[in-house]
Amino acid sequence: MIWEVFRQEKAGNYHTHCGNVHAPDREMAKQFAAIQHGRRKPTNSLWVVPSEEIGEIDAEDVAFGGTTDKAYRWATAYNTTGEDAVEVVESEDEQATAERQRGDD
Amino acid sequence: MELDTVKERAGPREFSPADDLPEEYRKAATRMIEFHANSEIMGAYLERPFIRQAPSIDRKLACSAKVQDEIGHGQLLYRAAESLGIKSREEMLDDLANGDGKFLNCFHYPMEDWVETPMIAFFVDGAAMRRQATLRRTSWEPYAHAMDKVCFEEGFHVKHGEDILRELMTGSRKEQQMTQEAFEEWWPRIIQFFGPTDDKSTHHDFAASVGLKQQSNDALRNAFLDQYIPKARKYGLEIPDEPRIRELDDGTYEVEEGDLDWDEFFTIAKNDYEPGLGQINGRKAAQEAVQWVRDTIEGDATAAGGHAPQAAD
Repeated sequence: MIWEVFRQEKAGNYHTHCGNVHAPDREMAKQFAAIQHGRRKPTNSLWVVPSEEIGEIDAEDVAFGGTTDKAYRWATAYNTTGEDAVEVVESEDEQATAERQRGDD
Repeated sequence: MELDTVKERAGPREFSPADDLPEEYRKAATRMIEFHANSEIMGAYLERPFIRQAPSIDRKLACSAKVQDEIGHGQLLYRAAESLGIKSREEMLDDLANGDGKFLNCFHYPMEDWVETPMIAFFVDGAAMRRQATLRRTSWEPYAHAMDKVCFEEGFHVKHGEDILRELMTGSRKEQQMTQEAFEEWWPRIIQFFGPTDDKSTHHDFAASVGLKQQSNDALRNAFLDQYIPKARKYGLEIPDEPRIRELDDGTYEVEEGDLDWDEFFTIAKNDYEPGLGQINGRKAAQEAVQWVRDTIEGDATAAGGHAPQAAD
């Protein structure tokens, strides 16, 4: 049986997929996950999920969004003057990063 | 977990649904997040008519995207609130429709004209971002995660709102004058966005002691004034004489809170403000009008499958 493993680096962070392990049951899956995925990188918590419990939908099944030009959705598209609030600048930076990564994968 | 332990541990993103938390914590967090979620929904409904009234196709696209975002934020937040185990999403939505759900003061006021849109999209959203940025450090992890996505999207809302303001304030004399009038009407309400003054805030102390809330209402209010008074002036808006605002020696601002209409504020807080009932009932009517969609989805849930859904682009 295959278990997908999700690793969280620090408390409060997201659990992100990092690989999978073979194990006969949940207990063993947790132990294997700890050994295989929790040893080299700093880890706060791991989730193990049976592979067959995961639902997937991919680009073959459906046309996802994210490819249309939607410049109007980005803070960077607007002309304003004067210094922006730090949180607005932060949001703009996150959006600019996301925009750069569009189509990267 | 004992309440004392909660207070000791209360740090950013410290608690998750895996923790056994005392009822006081879960109730306080539910109250706070439900209020926030309701406000996202009511704000979206307030702005929705301006998708149709937008003066250009670019504005129409942006307004429509923004309303879509706000509804999405509401849904994210209802999930974060629901995960506390006190109230279900359905109960919160029903309470909002019945006039029992509480939400932000600004969204109780009807909005008539396009010149009012930057008052919400720039100033109120700017105020909201001030607050939301601090909530990325709240102790309830699902709330903090929701804030990550909300803050990511909200930058566009603020900049778009500011762009509308810039356009109006560099437009015809009539546009400038109407925008100034809208600003004078909305300005005191915007300052009240942050809630009652610290000495009148009944929930602050507990919420702060368990790490849910990061800054007091007054501290956030003043931080907002520091950032947005210079912005307003830059676009040629005149700050009204009332409420009185003091510029301190270090260049920061402080509002004379006694000049604000707190009777009206607390009437609104109880959902007793007459013009605001139109907002609440309008949303209720919309909820009832699309009940058949919910029923269809629920009824179809077991029978469905096999066909690929269309992703909303």
